[in-house]
Amino acid sequence: MKPAPFAYVRPATLDDAVAELAATDGDGKVLAGGQSLVPVLAMRLGRPGTLVDINAVAGLDGLERRDGALRIGATVRQRHVERSSAAAAVPLLGLALPFVGHRELRSRGTVCGSLAHADPGAELPAVALCLGAALEVTGPRGRRTVRAADFFQGAMTTAVGPDEILTAVQFPAAGPGEGFGFAELARRHGDFALAGVVTRVRSRDGAVAEAVLSGFGVSDRPVTRDVTELVRAAAGEADVETALRPGTEELAREMVDTAGDAHGSQGYRRRLFAVLAARELARAHRRATESPS
Amino acid sequence: MTTTEHQRAVKAAADELIDVSFTVNGTPVTIRVPARMHLADALRQHLGLTGTHLGCEHGVCGMCTVLIDGDAARACLVFAVQAEGTDVVTVEGLGTQDDQHPLQQAFSHHHALQCGFCTPGFLMSSYDLLAHEPGVDADSLPEELSGVICRCTGYRGILAAVADFAEAHPEGVPPPRNCAPRTLVGRGGGTSSIALDRAPVGDAEEAVPTDITRPTGTPTLTVEVTRLLTSSLADVWAVMTDVHRLARCLPGAEMTEDLGDDRYRGRAKVALGPVRLAFRGLARITERDEAEHRLALLAQGADTGGNRTAADIGLRATATPDGGTELRADAAVFLSGRIAQFGRALAGDVSQRMFEQFAHALDETARTGQAPDVGAGPSALAIGAAAVRDAVRRRVAALRTRLRERRGHRRGTSPRSSSGA
Repeated sequence: MKPAPFAYVRPATLDDAVAELAATDGDGKVLAGGQSLVPVLAMRLGRPGTLVDINAVAGLDGLERRDGALRIGATVRQRHVERSSAAAAVPLLGLALPFVGHRELRSRGTVCGSLAHADPGAELPAVALCLGAALEVTGPRGRRTVRAADFFQGAMTTAVGPDEILTAVQFPAAGPGEGFGFAELARRHGDFALAGVVTRVRSRDGAVAEAVLSGFGVSDRPVTRDVTELVRAAAGEADVETALRPGTEELAREMVDTAGDAHGSQGYRRRLFAVLAARELARAHRRATESPS
Repeated sequence: MTTTEHQRAVKAAADELIDVSFTVNGTPVTIRVPARMHLADALRQHLGLTGTHLGCEHGVCGMCTVLIDGDAARACLVFAVQAEGTDVVTVEGLGTQDDQHPLQQAFSHHHALQCGFCTPGFLMSSYDLLAHEPGVDADSLPEELSGVICRCTGYRGILAAVADFAEAHPEGVPPPRNCAPRTLVGRGGGTSSIALDRAPVGDAEEAVPTDITRPTGTPTLTVEVTRLLTSSLADVWAVMTDVHRLARCLPGAEMTEDLGDDRYRGRAKVALGPVRLAFRGLARITERDEAEHRLALLAQGADTGGNRTAADIGLRATATPDGGTELRADAAVFLSGRIAQFGRALAGDVSQRMFEQFAHALDETARTGQAPDVGAGPSALAIGAAAVRDAVRRRVAALRTRLRERRGHRRGTSPRSSSGA
């Protein structure tokens, strides 16, 4: 399991990194944490001619709250975010990160790397989608910001061009009256999920103002729906979760379009998704109404 | 967190080797590797640290778990070039056979290993867990330790060891016990940048160092030999201060070049039964005390098979009342490479015999004015063979005892003997 030979570049500035990547003419890959890329190279599923290691690039290791968002630079490790007090501003990161691989992977793996790799079973892309994160992409034509809704374009396919680098992501900080839920079912801890859900409910004056349901492991990319009406209708019931179930079962038929595999058929994953979605929407709703708006 | 501040800019073609400097178990090292070599291979092949195991080599099994800047990471998912400027701790840094880390003792106590292949991974992963979450709840251990796989499925003992340790050390895990600057990094021939400044590691035949540094770290073995010689102190000291004659007294050794400043290039052969090793190396006399009749020297050698040795040797001659001389030799011997796998007992026996032979030859040289003929008297081969014979004899005796016990046991329970048919 040795990667095929590759040229290695470790530039010190972002301009150099972009120039080096552009110079590879599509035959280069960005190396940050490498926890998804290196297995691909080891199995020789990919043989990029050049790796552009961005770990020495100045200015990519920032983790800061700015303008109501948490901005995470491209080389910030997942485990660093887990431990950081600044990350408390985005409770969903705290809920989701423990499910991203294992400690030993999160110590090297980066938040931006998970987003750029865009595995359909990965947790963080669904979190980005549910929160409406903004992704900063830098290339030869300068920097542009892409909304999460436009970023994920298919299995391991994103809006990042072959000559571009995902340099940072901004997650909106939780506001008053917001509650969240996260759940996934995997065969073993650390595996990619058979199905997973991320939920967000915002309440205002005791009423549901906004509700979002995102799923992962259920399609070729993370999927998301505005479920404000559904949650609002169930909110008055004594058992919110049960009241949500018919609605989430219908959503599961629409959102879960993976063909399934030996570990779980499409039908099983739909059922799983419906159960988890109702449970975590009810949880987010409960937290949203408990939290002062 | 990140290692940005330590890392220099690099640009290397696919077939180019890259110099990487980092710290391993407290020792600064520099290696030269291709970009595609992962850290686990670099630790094993360039530094001889074979405690870091490799299973799947794509980040699933956790065998290669090491600490990078204090956090557990998979060494197969980090390229060695990315380790530039980092502080790496492997299982060898945790403790030694004689001085185990308390976590290793807990594993031993709970028999938290069967074949032992996953043990380094589990040790480093649980070290990381206990270092960052000392109060970890025993119920969460199965998930927390899920990053390493045990294919013997000996998880119960592993969980018990970690749970027990966590309870006994609520204040956190004690630091690694075997991290300090040393000359020989591991047992596979890896040499730190302290010893061979900038010499490409792993190319022993090409590396021609011209100076040597005092070995550091814990020696593989120490030798203390005291011998009574019949020659007078003046005669013995005369040989000790004549490097050419002194070298001829060393079994299997030959001086090939005087480099000046008391530095010498030489060869040494070691023969142990079927084992034949030929070292080339350097020696330097670091102290020559006329009043105390004391001589100190450093020696280092390497063979083409990745074996390395270094020794810090002290010789002292004292007059005895009967006109003879007492010669005392102290040596700290450092071994790496496959020779280190002989085990300290055997290597110690061989070294001891060599010094005894040396003392004998020194006495004869002092008495006759000439070094003994090569082939006359016990040769290195004979000494080695004697040591091997002794060791083998001891082992055979132990084996016989064990067999006897087992046979006795079987005789009592064998269905064939009880059936009497």
